[in-house]
Amino acid sequence: MKQASLSIDSLREVVKTLPDNGLTPSREAALAHLDEHGLPTLRDEDWKYTDLSPLVDISNRWLTAGGQQRPPKLPSATIEAVKTSIDAIWLVISNGTIDEQSIGAIKHKGIEVTRFSDAPSPFVMSRPLADLNAALLQDGLRIRVTGPVEKPVAILIVDRAGESVAVAQSCVEIEVASGVAAEFIEYHASEGDADHYANTVLSIAVGDNADVNHVRIQNRSTRHVQTGRTSIALGRDARLRMASYDLGGRLIRNDIDIDLSEPGADIAFDGLYLAGDGQHIDNHTRVDHRVGPATSSQEYRGILNGNCRCVWNGKAIVHKGADGTDASQANHNLLLSDKAEIDTKPELEIYADEVKCSHGTTVGQLDETALFYLRTRGLDKRHATQVLTHAFAADIVLRAPVAGVKDAITAIVEARLAELIEADAAADLLS
Amino acid sequence: MLEIKNLKSRIGDSEILRGLSLSVKAGEVHAIMGPNGSGKSTLAQVIAGHEDYEVVDGTVTYNGHDLLELAPEERAREGIFLGFQYPVEIPGVNNAYLLKAAVNAKRKHQGLGEVDAFEFLKLAREKMATLGMDPKFLNRGVNEGFSGGEKKRNEILQMAMLEPRLAILDETDSGLDIDALKAVAAGVNALRSPDRAIILVTHYQRLLDYVEPDYVHVLSQGRIVRSGDKSLALELEEKGYEWVREAANA
Repeated sequence: MKQASLSIDSLREVVKTLPDNGLTPSREAALAHLDEHGLPTLRDEDWKYTDLSPLVDISNRWLTAGGQQRPPKLPSATIEAVKTSIDAIWLVISNGTIDEQSIGAIKHKGIEVTRFSDAPSPFVMSRPLADLNAALLQDGLRIRVTGPVEKPVAILIVDRAGESVAVAQSCVEIEVASGVAAEFIEYHASEGDADHYANTVLSIAVGDNADVNHVRIQNRSTRHVQTGRTSIALGRDARLRMASYDLGGRLIRNDIDIDLSEPGADIAFDGLYLAGDGQHIDNHTRVDHRVGPATSSQEYRGILNGNCRCVWNGKAIVHKGADGTDASQANHNLLLSDKAEIDTKPELEIYADEVKCSHGTTVGQLDETALFYLRTRGLDKRHATQVLTHAFAADIVLRAPVAGVKDAITAIVEARLAELIEADAAADLLS
Repeated sequence: MLEIKNLKSRIGDSEILRGLSLSVKAGEVHAIMGPNGSGKSTLAQVIAGHEDYEVVDGTVTYNGHDLLELAPEERAREGIFLGFQYPVEIPGVNNAYLLKAAVNAKRKHQGLGEVDAFEFLKLAREKMATLGMDPKFLNRGVNEGFSGGEKKRNEILQMAMLEPRLAILDETDSGLDIDALKAVAAGVNALRSPDRAIILVTHYQRLLDYVEPDYVHVLSQGRIVRSGDKSLALELEEKGYEWVREAANA
């Protein structure tokens, strides 16, 4: 299949307009990498279910129009609403631009926030789309937590697409020092009617014996496109609990790469995706167990309604010598419409001897018997459907490892589920 | 209260009810007995409104209205309760939530406001105590990991909270030990009143030692082949179902 490709020439022109600062060398390196490799296509095994044409199209239109970075208009109602719903120390990246005020407002001991331009690191993110991110990045955020912090540290990545097509890059590096416990929230939101593509890169380095809880909420407009790559490395005896909630977006692709190179590491990462008409949500995860003992577990759940498609691909590689590995993967899907499609695939590659690995995936419809049972108790069909879909999502919602964010997640999951079921009820009336 | 005339119903291609007639008045307790496959559970499901069972002929009127016109939830709100033979496990849905949602759905239908949360819990705990249920069951998933006896007690709890006008209990006695059977029977007896009717669907006579029926009907091949008072149940116990089958074929 012939796919549109990114206009490298236009990209090069736009990169030239970016401020000459410490990031210039990594932009050049990223540009060269992108020139050589291009963006992934449907021919690439890891990308065969997700056609990137929409983001190539948005990017090309934006690049040929000059690739202007929209100046952030702060504050917006969305930013205030999100900040009010969750009590945290907030850092804001708006339309790819770091909000300096939000950095300045941090006076907490134990947190250091700097920008990449203050102390640039060489370009290392050669993974797909991370090169595009590095080429166009205005500046990145580096967050180091070195001591106890009384609240979660939250990063709000918000985009507003006003009159014309726009593209925004954001990059955040999180580092948690040895023995420190910390909580993070990553919140993605967008608004506006124009086409928008957001590309995010996040890295989380958890120090030896550190304990980190991380919640990611993606509540973008269903008009907008986002790709994101998260790279995670755990130190010796480090622990990470992570939960990811994908509620919005027209085209969403999340890649999580987890590197377990130190013994005693323990990571659990769960996810929930809710997709309605016109949405495409793709989660690709990869865990590299390089030493043992170490534990990784993941459970993703999806609720799909209307004409939509979701993808889950969970790969775990247990490298030679990584004895004592315990890896489990699960993906469960509830399809409320016969037009909804899920491609689910667990992949286990085991090269070590003493390992405990398990995987399981399910795809099902609403349980008709349970639906009837609830209706005989007086709940109408829509209410009963709502109750059952909530129950399906509840486990993952309750597993949000940051206590202060559970109410907010419950509220947005409930609202999104109600929308999905409402759409279904409307379709019922028409049929 | 309930008038069933010449009811014929099928699921898929198999005809299960073949011209069943039954009249139940307020204040009465009817026992429906019969061998496996005679159509007992189908009758219960059709009254509750299960959409897999197609009604091909006959009428069912409830308090003068055509019951077959109503959706399952509308029947429930009008006071019909079905106690399931196999209560459904619904992980993730809190038992207390379902009880409250059910009571409120009915109250809304009656033009009443939502039940007071405090009063509701108090009442639920009282009912649970009489059924010998641990109040912890309120916070568990609906029937999730419940034993057979716990599930049946939970059905009776729902019935007690909903105070139906017509309760149909489908093999509520099956698989119960004697304590659970007594608790369930006490729950049913507590509901007996001049303005309510109860239909007990059962395979065995055992439950009828504790809940005394006014009428006993024997179902065979989708029809009521014999009706009588409680002594019919005893006779049946003694002679076995072969006896009625022969009588029906004669």
